[in-house]
Formats: sequence, structure tokens, C-alpha cells
Amino acid sequence: MRAIIFSICACLALASPEESAQEFFAGSSNHTNNWAVLISASKYWFNYRHMSNTLALYRTVKRLGIPDSNIIMMLADDAACNPRNRDAANVYPSPGGVDLYGDNIEVDYRGYEVTVENVIRLLTGRQDPSVPRSKRLLTDDRSNIFVYMTGHGGNEFLKFQDSEEISAHDVGDAFAQMWEKKRYHEIFFMIDTCQASSMYSQLHSPNIFATGSSQVGENSYSYHNDHTIGVSLIDRYTHYILGFLENVNKTSHATMQDFFDYYDTTAIGSHPGVRSDLFARPLNETLITDFFGGVAHVEVSNSDCTPVFGDVVEEEAPVRSKETMVVKAAPPSSPQPTTVDGKGIRAWGSFGLIGLILSWVAFRTSGS
Amino acid sequence: MGSLLDPSLLFFQQDRVRRTIIAAYWAVILLATPLWWNITSIERLPLPAGRVHTETQRALTLPATIQLEPGLVDSKPHIINELQSLLDKRLSNSITANVRVNDQNTSPGVYNLVFWDKEDAVLEGRTLKFPRGTSLTSLSDTIIKLLDPPPTSQDFRIAPYSSRYRLSFTLLNEDASSGSYISGWSVQAALRRYIQPILSRVSDLHNCTIESQIQFHAPLAFEPHKLEDNTTALTAEDLTIFVNTAEWTLSSSTSTDPVLHFALFVPNAERRPVKVIDSRTNTFLLPQWGGVVIYNPGDEQDHLGSDALDQIFPLFAQHLLTLLGVPSVPAGIKTPDALSDWQIDALLRRRAIETNQGARDILKSTVTLVNELENMPVGKVVQDEVQAALSALERLHSLSSKSLTDAARLSSEAYTLASRAFFNPDMLAMLYFPTEHKYAVYTPLFASAVIPLIAAAVRELLAWRKQKAAKAAAPVQ
Repeated sequence: MRAIIFSICACLALASPEESAQEFFAGSSNHTNNWAVLISASKYWFNYRHMSNTLALYRTVKRLGIPDSNIIMMLADDAACNPRNRDAANVYPSPGGVDLYGDNIEVDYRGYEVTVENVIRLLTGRQDPSVPRSKRLLTDDRSNIFVYMTGHGGNEFLKFQDSEEISAHDVGDAFAQMWEKKRYHEIFFMIDTCQASSMYSQLHSPNIFATGSSQVGENSYSYHNDHTIGVSLIDRYTHYILGFLENVNKTSHATMQDFFDYYDTTAIGSHPGVRSDLFARPLNETLITDFFGGVAHVEVSNSDCTPVFGDVVEEEAPVRSKETMVVKAAPPSSPQPTTVDGKGIRAWGSFGLIGLILSWVAFRTSGS
Repeated sequence: MGSLLDPSLLFFQQDRVRRTIIAAYWAVILLATPLWWNITSIERLPLPAGRVHTETQRALTLPATIQLEPGLVDSKPHIINELQSLLDKRLSNSITANVRVNDQNTSPGVYNLVFWDKEDAVLEGRTLKFPRGTSLTSLSDTIIKLLDPPPTSQDFRIAPYSSRYRLSFTLLNEDASSGSYISGWSVQAALRRYIQPILSRVSDLHNCTIESQIQFHAPLAFEPHKLEDNTTALTAEDLTIFVNTAEWTLSSSTSTDPVLHFALFVPNAERRPVKVIDSRTNTFLLPQWGGVVIYNPGDEQDHLGSDALDQIFPLFAQHLLTLLGVPSVPAGIKTPDALSDWQIDALLRRRAIETNQGARDILKSTVTLVNELENMPVGKVVQDEVQAALSALERLHSLSSKSLTDAARLSSEAYTLASRAFFNPDMLAMLYFPTEHKYAVYTPLFASAVIPLIAAAVRELLAWRKQKAAKAAAPVQ
């Protein structure tokens, strides 16, 4: 048993911070953790800009304090390591801009893992027990989630991998299931695609607000076609909102209303939409950092009273602890370059076929 | 040659052969239809919606027995009824108290009220000792605070219930290359002394794994203010951004259990001492996340032995208790125990109520969702887990009056089973396809195959009827 040295103390521990806690919560969100789900749904090199959009948002949320463990990033293709990328392993949102790929990046779902099914499974939590922690959205009723999607879309759908689509109903149903299981406190849904507003038309769960780059029937446009790599670097909407977000820091008091007021339709080239009817708080009292940042609730403990246990506890199970020495975080895994074997065969095949047809035509004409 | 020119004379154009071929196609289609129907329909086993409904209506009550000394009751015969009515008025719905005379019954879960001649109110195990003159109102006040700690605005600090937690202890050197740093700590002994006793007390609720690490490069993401006396001060705003999530790796990602973080930060020598404004203990808590302690070692110190950790680990222990939701002893009550039985019981009650509510909510949501989403499959596993969760809840109601530990265990089991049913990977609603999409996909696929078949069948039918009519009209030879 314990040989106990008692310490008698009047436990007034943490009784006083009640007022300070209330101060913290005045006009702010009641969440205790922040998550981000960032999805680039397009593959192929010419969709460089969609990866760039997503990476730019990744950089922003990470800079503002969401840890990698709470960011789920899906990139359907790997522009950084594409052989056509002149600046290998770099992704630039503008000529001479910051390298979005950086040296510490964690892509959780890549390439063919980015499917509609995986997105729905991620959101609803219906994943196989073997799925690792980094691919899970481990949220609870105190989590604020920022969901960003980009890709090619249309009225009520967003195309994934050039082969399937997620529809507005799928997103609405997934959020509804999350609400049923108390998997979020609040969601901010942002989408940059053509007819983006249609994607949040089917949302029906509380505490969600959404914004999209364009109205139904309207295209969203790309920004700056770069001649050195031959593709557009980023989409206009994302480019312009980054102009605002770059000026936000971890302790900023900028609100969502400020953010939406910043929208400049002439610069963006389309009319971004905002939907806030499901959201309980007024947007001018909702901070940008409620969704883009780490949580900022801290309680200073000031107690003199701490539980003091016995001297030695002999009969307890041994502590199963593993002392690991970490000097610095492991280097980020570098993505594998994608191969184009199938495409190569197809290209040579069609070349040969055209050759055959031409020689046949030549043979026939000379013969007659 | 004549036979080749007349198609009706060809072998395969003979009426019988041709009709058999067409009939064979139709036979395959008709026989394949049930198979197609079978493999494309979704398995939707019925869920026990009625039982779920009954179970979610049933409120959980956790009774507590309070015993008074026979001597006291003899001198004040009304005390039992008075105390009982005071408690009944103010206890929440899920907890009931039963006041009675001490009959020397030492069964577990019975609380004793004793009056003594000393000035202090003292809590020892399940016995609460009061000075003789204490009024009945303040007595009932204390009992309520102990049995059923009222919800406060600080409850958001408590980590959501999980049957497993991972506790991660990290010693962070801001930058070891700058000179003075801590290269080791006697963490095993400190964990045994301060953390393990708490974990063994809450082992009925949580199974915890501990991991620890030392990091030698943990830069801050901001520049703290330096005061005139060379102290570095951390303001409340600094604390909100203190944890550098982008660069500190505070836990491994080996499991999906929730992690409670405990970080000991050792600043660079030139910053020392670093002080948290308004905190004598230089520590702060991040709700549901964990605790941070800032430690300023001496210049020569490179190892944290038990002397230093005896200052630090009690703070972590306090953080752990807060995060686990162990209520503090009400003001004015002294206790020799680090964790009294009343506190642990209150925690068990709190978590039992929380997980019971959670389990019922999840079961209700599962039934609602399955009804709402018509193409959501419900397999045998889900059905079994829902039933198992329901029977855990039923057993809970029959046992809740007998043992608090069993009640907490069963409601946690029900919660885990209900969650597992909800998160079953097979229960993924088929993706939504608008009707026009279905037509767009099926028409080019099936129309090209089915139209010639229908046309052939109709033509043969007409030809056969014509033939029959011709036969009937022909004169009998």
C-alpha cells in the first residue's frame, strides 16, 4: 500500500479563473480545437492552379496555428514533382512568390486516394479501423472545421479525378451526419470552382456558413497564366482572398464580415456568394481565427494546491513509457513522381496508327 | 443454288431455329433479372427502433445513500426528513440521495456524516466530518457540491470522454544549440509518484498510455516582451499563441486515442527567467488539450532530478485532474487524501451520466439517419452492435442502484458500442445520383442492346400470328 505523506490543503484550486474564462468567451466561439479539410480534386498538370489553391490555404491555416495533425490535406495530383514543373518540388502561387510546397508539408491523401468515397468517409468518420490517425477527422462537439474544396465543378457538383463527382447533396448529407454524431461545433465551407454557390445549396445542418467563388451560371477564373511553365498558377478567387488572409495573424481581431466585405467582384471576375442562414452567430462577431487559427483559450493556473501523493507507490503497474529523443521533426516525406507509362504507350500507339493510315492512303493513290 | 437464294430455306433462318435463338436471349435476360436485383439491392436489416425509443426515454438515476450517526438522530429526530427534503429540492434529476440512520452497514458507496468537536470540516474517504454547530443548509450545500458538482463555465476544459487516452509528456528545450539546456529528466520516477496514482484511481473509467520525449529544438513562433528587470513576461495574449503547433511535435500518431499533452518548456538562457503574468506557478492550461509548465533552470543545470520535478509534476497532476473532470473539493473543506472517494464517485457519476446520454443520443441518431437516408446499408454487425448497446443500457438500469462503478462501466460500454455501430465503415450511404444522371448513364448502355431484342421479339410474334392465321384459313387437304 501507499506510504503516504499527507498534505492537507484547502483546495481552492482553479476556483478563481471563472471570471477570466468568461472574459475569454465574450463574443467568441466556444470551441476548443480547430480542424481543416483542404481538398484539391483535380488531377493533370494543367490543373496546377487547383493544387496551388489548396497549398496556399494549407500554408495559411498552418501559419495561423492549426497543427498538421489537425489538417487533412487531399491533393489529387502532385504538381510539385511533375516532370513538366520547371522548378521541381516547388509550387508558386504567383511569379516570384513564396514557395507553397516549402520544406515541411504533410499531404494526407494523395493521387488516387482522393475520391468522393474517401471524402465522405473522412467527414462521417466511417473508416476502416486500420486507417491511420493522419487520415482521420477526429473532431468532437467543440471542433470548428474549415472545409475548402477546389476543382472543376458545375451546377451542384464538383469533379474528382476526372472520373467522378461529389454532389451538393453528398456534402449536405455528410455534414448532416456529422451534426447527428456531434462531430463539429461550427463549419466554414469554402469552395472555389465554377458555379460554386450551387455546392452549398443543399446544406441543411445548423452552425454552418459557406462561401463560394461564383454564382450559379457563372464561371470562376484562373489567375496569371505563367509562360515559363505554361499553365495558370492559381485561381483568381483564392488569389484575392489570400491578399486578405496574408494580413491576418494569430491574434488578429478581423471578422468574417471584414473578410466578405473584402471581396472585389471586378478583380475576381465573378460574384462570390455567402450563405449564413444556418449560422447562429452574426458574421461581424465571428473572428477569422475562429476557423483559420489554432484555438486561443488559455487558462492561467494559479493554484497553490496540488494533489500530493504518497512517497513511493510500490504496487502500481510499471510505467510503460518510452523515452525517445527527438532532435527535430523527421523530414517530410517527399512525394514520388508520378509515372506516365500508360500514356506513353497510348501516344506511340496512336502515332503508329496514323502512320499506317497515311501509308495505306499513299499506297492506294499510287496504285490507282 | 435455289436454296441459298431463298432465305427461308437456310438452316439458321428456319423458323424454329431463329425463334429459339431469340427466345434464348430473352431467357437469359429474364433469368438474370432476379440476380441483378439481388446484387444491386442494399442490405438494410431492421434496427430495433422501438427498443431504442423506449431506452432513450428512460432517465438514468444514480442513488446515493447518506448515513447519519444514531446518536445525532436520537437527539434531533427531524434531521433525517429535513436533510432529505433539502437534498431532494436541489439535486439534479439523475442523482437521488437517501438519508438514513447509520446501521453499521459498511457496504460500498455509502457516505457517512459525522459531527465532531473540532472547528474544521474534514473529508476522509467516504466520511464527512462537520463541526457540531453547522447549519443544515450549509450541510446540504456541501453534500450537493460533493455528490453532484454543479455545472460551471469551466466544464469546457474537461476532455470529452474516451475509454482510452494517451498522455504525452514532452520536455522542450527552446534551442539546445544556444548553450544551456536540459538533456535529461527523471521522468519515470515522477510519473510513478504523481501521475500513476491518479491513473490507478480512475482506472474504472480510463485506460491510459503514457509516452514521453525530449526535444532539443522547440522555437517560439513569436517574440515575447522583455521587461526592465531582464525578465521575459508572457501576457495572456502571448499564451494563446505560445504552443508552436507548426514546429513542435508533441505526440506520436501511433493510435487514434485522444491525446492529453503535458509540455515542460525550458527557455533559452538569455530569455530566463520567463514568467507567465498572473501565475505564481508559471503554468497554464489549454482546455481539453493539456497543460504547459515553464521552467527556468539555473545556468549550470543540465538534468532535472526529483527536486525539480517535485515542483513541476504536481502541476501536471493538477492539469490532468482538471482535464479528466475530477471535481475539486468545495471551498472550506479540508482533506488528507489527494483524491477523496467522494471526488472519484462524483467523477464516476458525471461520466456515467455523460456517456449514458451520449449512448442514447447516438442510438437515436443512428435510427433517424437510417430512416432518412434510404440507400444507407445496415448490416448484421451494425444491428448486433446496436442491440448490444441497448442491452448494456438495460443492464445499467438494473445495476445503477447497486454499484456506481458498474454503472459507469456499463454506460461507457454502451457508448463505445453505439459509437462503433454509428461509425461502421459499411454503413456508407451510396452516393447521391440525380434521376437524370441515372437515365443518362443507363440509356446509352441498355437502349442499344434492348431495342433490337424487343423489335425482333415483336416481329417474330407478328409473323407467328400471321402464320397461325394463314394455317387456319388454308383449306384442309
